[in-house]
Amino acid sequence: MSTSAPTRRRPGTPTVTRPGSTRQHEVTRLLPGPLLVIIIGFLGLLVLIPVLYIFLASINSDLGVARGEFWPSSLSMANYSKIWTSVGLATGLTNSVLVAGATAVVSAALSVSTAFVLVRYTFRGRLSILRGLLALQSVPGTLMVLPVFVLFSSAATYLGIQVIGTQWGLFVTYLTFAMPFSTWVMVTYLRGLPKELEEAARIDGASNVGVLFKIILPLSWPGIVVSGIFAFLLGWNDVLFASVMTRPESQTAAVALQIFGASQEGGAIPQYGQMMAAALVCAAPVVILYLIFQRYLVGGLTAGGVK
Amino acid sequence: MSSDASNELLVAAEAAATGASGPTNGGSGNRGAKRRGLSERNRPLWMLIPGGALMIIIIIVPLLLGIYIAGLDLDQYTLRKWISAPFIGVGNFVEALSHTPLLRSVWLSVSYSLLAMIVTLPLGIAAAVATQNAFKGRALVRSIFLIPYVLPSFVVATVWRTMLQPDGIVDKVLGTVGVHPGLWLNGPQSYWTLVLVQIWASWPFIYLLALAGLQAVDHEVHEASALDGALWWKKLRFVVFPYLKGPLSLAVLIGMLHHINNFTLPFVLFGVPAPSDVEVLPILTYVTSFQSFRFGLSAAMAFVSLVLIAIPLFVYLRAVRLDDGETPGGTK
Repeated sequence: MSTSAPTRRRPGTPTVTRPGSTRQHEVTRLLPGPLLVIIIGFLGLLVLIPVLYIFLASINSDLGVARGEFWPSSLSMANYSKIWTSVGLATGLTNSVLVAGATAVVSAALSVSTAFVLVRYTFRGRLSILRGLLALQSVPGTLMVLPVFVLFSSAATYLGIQVIGTQWGLFVTYLTFAMPFSTWVMVTYLRGLPKELEEAARIDGASNVGVLFKIILPLSWPGIVVSGIFAFLLGWNDVLFASVMTRPESQTAAVALQIFGASQEGGAIPQYGQMMAAALVCAAPVVILYLIFQRYLVGGLTAGGVK
Repeated sequence: MSSDASNELLVAAEAAATGASGPTNGGSGNRGAKRRGLSERNRPLWMLIPGGALMIIIIIVPLLLGIYIAGLDLDQYTLRKWISAPFIGVGNFVEALSHTPLLRSVWLSVSYSLLAMIVTLPLGIAAAVATQNAFKGRALVRSIFLIPYVLPSFVVATVWRTMLQPDGIVDKVLGTVGVHPGLWLNGPQSYWTLVLVQIWASWPFIYLLALAGLQAVDHEVHEASALDGALWWKKLRFVVFPYLKGPLSLAVLIGMLHHINNFTLPFVLFGVPAPSDVEVLPILTYVTSFQSFRFGLSAAMAFVSLVLIAIPLFVYLRAVRLDDGETPGGTK
């Protein structure tokens, strides 16, 4: 609606809402100006100070961070070159990109075909599957990690397939845990697509698979991208499964970052500077993904709202 | 694992998906009967097999396996041959309830989740109300507000762990105003550290859903309350907040599920073994499994956490609409 219509600003007016800048604005205004400034200022600082601190600490010395300096007394970018070799962050990032990337692609592909069937066809148990998709998203990871571990180590014992400690084990795990959510994203997306095109294609003799590839896929790229990104994030952000099921050569970035914390137990000062630099590097891909696709997330929320 | 962030994202994505497809939505007519004839003839149900098989093998089977393991006396010696481990029935449950801090963990989990929720709710609503009206730089403010939501949990926890070290930046800043709070990452105060960091990380989720709710407020409502000369807080309280009830109750449910399931934050923030004051349910389950190697006992604890989760989950499943009216055979 017109609630978010852009308010034209006259040159020289303060940046924050000013009573009466336009009549439209005055009608929809929710808060008085000063309160608005206080809220935005408080929450902005609450977020920005720690974020600024991560950056400043990442170019500080370990001793400087340990002493509680906010502004570094000695600046150096050396931390950013050291992190690649000291705990194997390079290996970790490569593994994370591989595993989370593969999870994203495969999960998006599987979820679009699954969602296609769930949305466009009727069959017994359809609603149960939809309900199951929602329920499975809330199964606690700590409940699953042990049985999955036991299952995978049984695969080694009884089938001779080594799963624990490989990237494959992580990939299959992330893929499966991403599926319920990715599928649900696609279900909601496909519901919004018009059926007329599919019907026209069927009249022209297209098969089910033809409809999926020629009509659904080209139309649903935005949904596929969103569902893939969420699968990627699940793999990228996981610590629980990665800490149980990896070896040093197959560890993910999330696990590599924990090693900085563990190196503290020697009694020396932890490598705080490198830790913060590595944290920023681990966060970067996620932040970039969000910035690029923010419109889908936030724009979609503000436009469609929650049913 | 899926608990980590995807619960929160679910709502966001659902809305994003529907929102992004909004313009194309108008065309579908109401010819359900005709379509049903078409769609019942040759249904490509085989397309459900790959995803379905994965979910059955990696989620459903382990879930049942987990419940079975809860009845076994399983430790690191019997793990390799877990099938022949001695079955002790409810023994693990009895031990978990009587000889482990399980009940305390349940209490810690629930109380910390509630506390974090009680604080994030007003923060998120305030943020949404403050960024609802257009002003210069609003896009930037909205992006900034999303940062804690965007950062991976393990990064958030690592950073706060560093900031809260003894003599670290937080102690330093508090010291300049004469406050010496003592240890953050150990001892009884660690519980409040967990609550505070969780608040920092999760208020943007409430903000996102409150923002979505505010979009539903009709312009006419604004006009009507302006005509009535309503003061801003009365307008908020009686006109705007009722619109937020739906989205926010959903946000509270999903947020609670997320807090209770959150393993990464306490795990990275405090490490294992965690101080007993932050031994929330996921941490206790993890430590029992992978530090004490009492796998059967741990499975019993995990089962208890499933029961705990089931309460908000049940309410959530009842509240969410599974189907829209347009889907063939979409009877509610």
